[in-house]
Amino acid sequence: MSAFSFGGSADTRVQNGSGMLLRYTFRRLLMLIPVSISISVVIFMIVHLLPGDPIDNLIRVGSSPEARERLATKYGLDRPLITQYFVWMGNMFRGDFGQAIVLRRPVSDLIMQNLPFSLTLGGLAFAFSSVVGMTLGTISAVVRNPILERFVRGFILLGSTVPGFWLALLLILLFSVTLGWLPVSGAKTWSALVLPVLTIGFGGIALVARVTRVALIDVRHEDFVTLLHAKGLSRSAILFRHLLPHALVPVVTILALRIGWILGGAVTAEFVFGRPGLGSLLIRALGQRDFPVIQGSMLMLALAVMLGTLIGDILQAAMDPRIREASK
Amino acid sequence: MHYTTKTLLHFGAAFMSTGILTMNLSPAAFAQEVTIAFSGPELGVTSYNPVTSTLLNTANSLIYDRLVEQDADQSYYPHLATSWEESGDGMAWTFKLRAGVMFQDGTPFNAQSIADWIPDFKGTENNYLVDAIGSVEVIDDLTVKFVMTRPEPNLLYNLASTYMGVPSAAAFDRLGENYGVSEAVGTGPFKLDSFSVGLETVLVRNDDYAWASELSENQAAAYVERITFREIPDQSTAFLELKTGGVDVLLGVPTDFLEILEEEANVAVIQMPGLGIKYMPINVTVPPFDDILVRQATALAVDQESILNSVYKGVGAVANNFLISSLPAADVDPALNVSYDPARAGELLDQAGWTMGDDGIRMKDGAPLRVKLFTQNATDFKRLTQVVQAQLKEIGMDAVITVFDSSTLRDEYKRNAHQLAVREYDWNNSDILDWFFSGERLGYPNVSMWNDETGQMLNDVAMTQSATSEQRIANFKAYHEYILSQYLFAPIYQPTINIAYNSEAVILPEQIRGIRFRSQTALDMKVVE
Amino acid sequence: MKARAFDALDRLGIGRAFSSSLGLVSGGFLVILIAVALTAPWITPFDYAAQQLGNSNAPPGWPHLLGTDEFGRDVLSRVIFGARTSLSVSATAIGISVTVGMTLGAAAGYIGGMFERAVMTVVDLTWSFPDILLALIFVAIIGPGLTSTMFAIAIAYLAQFTRLTRAQIVRLKRETFIEATVNLGAKPGHILIRHLLPNAIAPVIVAAMLAVGDGIILEATLGFFGLGAQPPTPSWGAMMSSGTAQLFLAPWVIIFPGLVVAMTVIAVNLFGDELIRALDIRDRLRGT
Repeated sequence: MSAFSFGGSADTRVQNGSGMLLRYTFRRLLMLIPVSISISVVIFMIVHLLPGDPIDNLIRVGSSPEARERLATKYGLDRPLITQYFVWMGNMFRGDFGQAIVLRRPVSDLIMQNLPFSLTLGGLAFAFSSVVGMTLGTISAVVRNPILERFVRGFILLGSTVPGFWLALLLILLFSVTLGWLPVSGAKTWSALVLPVLTIGFGGIALVARVTRVALIDVRHEDFVTLLHAKGLSRSAILFRHLLPHALVPVVTILALRIGWILGGAVTAEFVFGRPGLGSLLIRALGQRDFPVIQGSMLMLALAVMLGTLIGDILQAAMDPRIREASK
Repeated sequence: MHYTTKTLLHFGAAFMSTGILTMNLSPAAFAQEVTIAFSGPELGVTSYNPVTSTLLNTANSLIYDRLVEQDADQSYYPHLATSWEESGDGMAWTFKLRAGVMFQDGTPFNAQSIADWIPDFKGTENNYLVDAIGSVEVIDDLTVKFVMTRPEPNLLYNLASTYMGVPSAAAFDRLGENYGVSEAVGTGPFKLDSFSVGLETVLVRNDDYAWASELSENQAAAYVERITFREIPDQSTAFLELKTGGVDVLLGVPTDFLEILEEEANVAVIQMPGLGIKYMPINVTVPPFDDILVRQATALAVDQESILNSVYKGVGAVANNFLISSLPAADVDPALNVSYDPARAGELLDQAGWTMGDDGIRMKDGAPLRVKLFTQNATDFKRLTQVVQAQLKEIGMDAVITVFDSSTLRDEYKRNAHQLAVREYDWNNSDILDWFFSGERLGYPNVSMWNDETGQMLNDVAMTQSATSEQRIANFKAYHEYILSQYLFAPIYQPTINIAYNSEAVILPEQIRGIRFRSQTALDMKVVE
Repeated sequence: MKARAFDALDRLGIGRAFSSSLGLVSGGFLVILIAVALTAPWITPFDYAAQQLGNSNAPPGWPHLLGTDEFGRDVLSRVIFGARTSLSVSATAIGISVTVGMTLGAAAGYIGGMFERAVMTVVDLTWSFPDILLALIFVAIIGPGLTSTMFAIAIAYLAQFTRLTRAQIVRLKRETFIEATVNLGAKPGHILIRHLLPNAIAPVIVAAMLAVGDGIILEATLGFFGLGAQPPTPSWGAMMSSGTAQLFLAPWVIIFPGLVVAMTVIAVNLFGDELIRALDIRDRLRGT
């Protein structure tokens, strides 16, 4: 039995490592199809389980039942759910996300409008977590100073225990209200990115630092490191040229696997800092029951998560000792 | 821990220096630009098509001009119409139009523009505005006549509504469904530059503008070149933005922030009378509120004075009936006005058979007086609702709060799953009574679920059978008094509209003309040099 | 074998976690916190719901040690009562999550094949989707309140326990002593319940404890979004939901509950680390 989440059977073990990895990747890509379809069904069901009706946000309080019916027909909401689902999926295959009911625009326009904000924020938070986390992880693995190590450990701990929204509020209080250095909200300038990136990134530092530390301690005792020492390479050269690249793979892996967590953090950050993005689009659409928008943005988020998991899993598979052994 | 803080500050400082650089380069620093944050009720506009939209904001009122403007005292002023005349029987209205007005796309504004525009309302959600207009006749280039199907004393009010901003027929027909989404063309002092739904709307000055109404000092093009309207969903964030210079004008400041704003040297506040009230509808179909005694007791339990003074720091006014005080139909028989009387509330509950239990909760037939109290997921609603909850406890009623988002809340009303709710409305016209108490709209918006013959009869008379303004007022007053006599809701509070601005960045007139901040004020607005 | 099977619950193991100074401090804090939550109705200085509108937003001092909120309610009393709400919601949610997750994970790991693939696919989906969104949507569907918050948290953490249990079972299945049992002719159900699950339980317990900390944060976040505990019931999250401006008007209303959340989660994490060390299961928690 393989340790992979999806598929993998005993016979793959006899093949060579890279062939196995390719086959695994292919298998996983193939799996994406049924998984995406089941996700789309789940998303569609969830959306239609929500109490409330998007039409209510289109009509006046005193509107007639006929007006309501006319709108329901216009947006296909009066058709059986199963038909609605297939219409949605059919359009989706043609790259058409449908028309937003309350927001009165193509859903794809809304997603394209918000996606760049999400990507910038998520990407910078990802980078921030990696850089700071790896620095701290390396310090705690390399420097044998118990006091320093304790400080680093404290910092790491703090990062994983402070609620994101609370940190965001404190950051606003300090940097925007008291010091007046950074804007409170919005996304007009690059400076408006600083606090949201800190808010999301801070929570990831702990994870990255922990993974880096473990990875460094693991490889420190491996043969090739001993060999490098014997060759007379300096400690820092070993660290930067050989050890850290090793740690990079597990760090990227763990972050790719936790992409959902970055997206979740983005939801909170977008909410507190009034930023546009897929998360705030989704929350807004949820409030207005704008079904096509909820479906479209949830599907986008799910796809991002699936791709992240896929990359993470493949990287993990690449590092799997059994595969490495097989390729010897 | 010391180390922790320092590291954080270091990272902060690194980012900060880049932050300051970019901020200086940002266009907001240039002159003749103003950033305005919408008020809470204005958020979420999806289109600047006044004919079809059911929600519009201040930016819409700057893109379009109206035939008529309304001032804060509810009086009417000419704008695109220079004068008007109603025929003796109320069956025809003739409007003289202003000469020399041009739409922003270069097409001329004239009688034909009106004749093209009014029929566009047919079949839309806003049709009620022109419902009484049978046909539009072009008399000459600048004279237009409305032939009415029935007298409509409320016509001027409708024409002054932001939904009756006049669009360019050419653009309207050309863009179809996309009108208002990508482009919007009116005759107003500002042109739509860009619109990102849910984020911001950027307007630029209409340099040709020379047809301001009497409500503005400035009769030429606006002083300000560019206005950015921002949607900031959280009112407290908007407030912090004003405080830190992120926005220059805040169109709606929650009353509880006024106290802090007073301490800010650079912030000035303008108060205007509000357009609605906060109230608590009572669902008459669900026990114990099917008993009018319990309803009356509930209404009398709300201490309006205490709420005004504690929650709203004395700003605004108490509400004793359903309409804002400036409407004549609000002037009802004083005996029917609802004000706090806990002793009487207690007597009424005793009379209804609800006796005080040991734990401070009344009991009847072994069941406690426990009711549901719904509210909306917004800070100000939750705050007010918790105070009301505590006041109901005083008369022995255990009100259990549930906080819903607005879509779910509407669903609950329609399912008749509610008992009490804390709500508000924004509408400075007596016909709001029809919207919230008509038997045709049970559940939502008739949250009180009131439906009887007398009420419906009085409603019909007020809505469609008033020939003159005086009659309309008398009819609505009668309907209003009948609603009050049935204790269908507890009136709570009449808010003010609070506009706050950074006095180091912009100059606004001391008194805002019109019912709210609109084009007349935007024309007079200046940037501090 | 029996002794080994129960080593997770062994008092010595837990006791050992208290032996280091960090373990003592963090464990002690948690014990006190739980005691405070249990005795909240008797130890709060004021009624948590009693309003004093004339004394709103009073800064910390006497008699309101942590100040009052916008309704003049005592913040200390609300923080104490909030411990009761937040801890019980999180602990119950994780309890549900562990029970369901262990069942699913054990079944998946033991049965294998298509069943395993199906379960893990579904579970991975819930794991990867942002927990806060999962919870927001769940609460939107079944309505606000503590019960729905509880289930939302339970669903958000379900995958973690399913994966962990499954990984343990798969690992144990390969171990020699199980193979020996199988060779001796034991029934599958017997093997799963008597041998596999007890061995898998120690890492699950530790992971559950750490998850309670995360659950507290998720509860607080939902409370901040205005979901969860209905007013006037205090929870740490709900106390912080009165908007950014409150931070400026009366920072103590937001800072103290946040601090308590952070301290609690730190204590949970530290004590969890000590437990891992004491039970010697670090390797078994990794890679899941």
